[in-house]
Amino acid sequence: MGIPSGYTSAQVVQAVPTGINSALVLISSTTIGNAVSSVTVSNAFSSTYDAYQIIVSGGVASTDAGLTMHFGSTTTGYYFFQNYSFYNSSTLTIDNRNNQSNFIAAAATTGGLYGNIFVNSPNLAKPTRFDLVRAVPLTNSLGGIVLGFENSNTQHTAFTLTTTTGTVTGGTIRVYGYTNS
Amino acid sequence: MATYKVQIDDVVRDATPAEVTQIEARQAEVEAQAEAAEARAVARQAVLDRLGLTEQEAQLLLGS
Repeated sequence: MGIPSGYTSAQVVQAVPTGINSALVLISSTTIGNAVSSVTVSNAFSSTYDAYQIIVSGGVASTDAGLTMHFGSTTTGYYFFQNYSFYNSSTLTIDNRNNQSNFIAAAATTGGLYGNIFVNSPNLAKPTRFDLVRAVPLTNSLGGIVLGFENSNTQHTAFTLTTTTGTVTGGTIRVYGYTNS
Repeated sequence: MATYKVQIDDVVRDATPAEVTQIEARQAEVEAQAEAAEARAVARQAVLDRLGLTEQEAQLLLGS
């Protein structure tokens, strides 16, 4: 069977085909360069979509670390709740943060980059909500969730990922939009 | 001053002095958060030690 019109593969939709009312549409795919400390994706958000999924995968970090995220040039007003537990411990840590400059959005390890971030309403004149799974694929590390929002009505078009320490090389940042229909 | 490379979409370049300041401020904030979390964990353990409770017993009593 051939690839249906409107699709470039069996999974990736470049434009929503006629008769399809909902889809996850690939907006951008950014290949991370060599030994960078931050990556900005400029045209990630627009009025076309209200909600987005951002996937960070592949690549490596110079040392085991994390990637923080902020929207546009906004570096204040991030409120979030996070909980996590180390894989080798039964202790669940609950952590609340108010008015931060960013939030940890992805894992950056010497084995790879891992991010799975859902963003709601970044381009609407409303606070931007984010939630993500934080599961670091290292046996001595942790898994958890982060739930929060950026407390302004700024209509963001961009986001930036910054290493908590060290650099990242390679890998891909893919931004998908949920169709509004 | 340390040097950093930043990437804007597909373009990689050296960070400007202002960008270096921003990167280091963000990294310092994360470091401070990690230290604060560590301090809270140490304080929690000290309380448990005074009470003679294990971590698992504390979770049964307190839920976390």
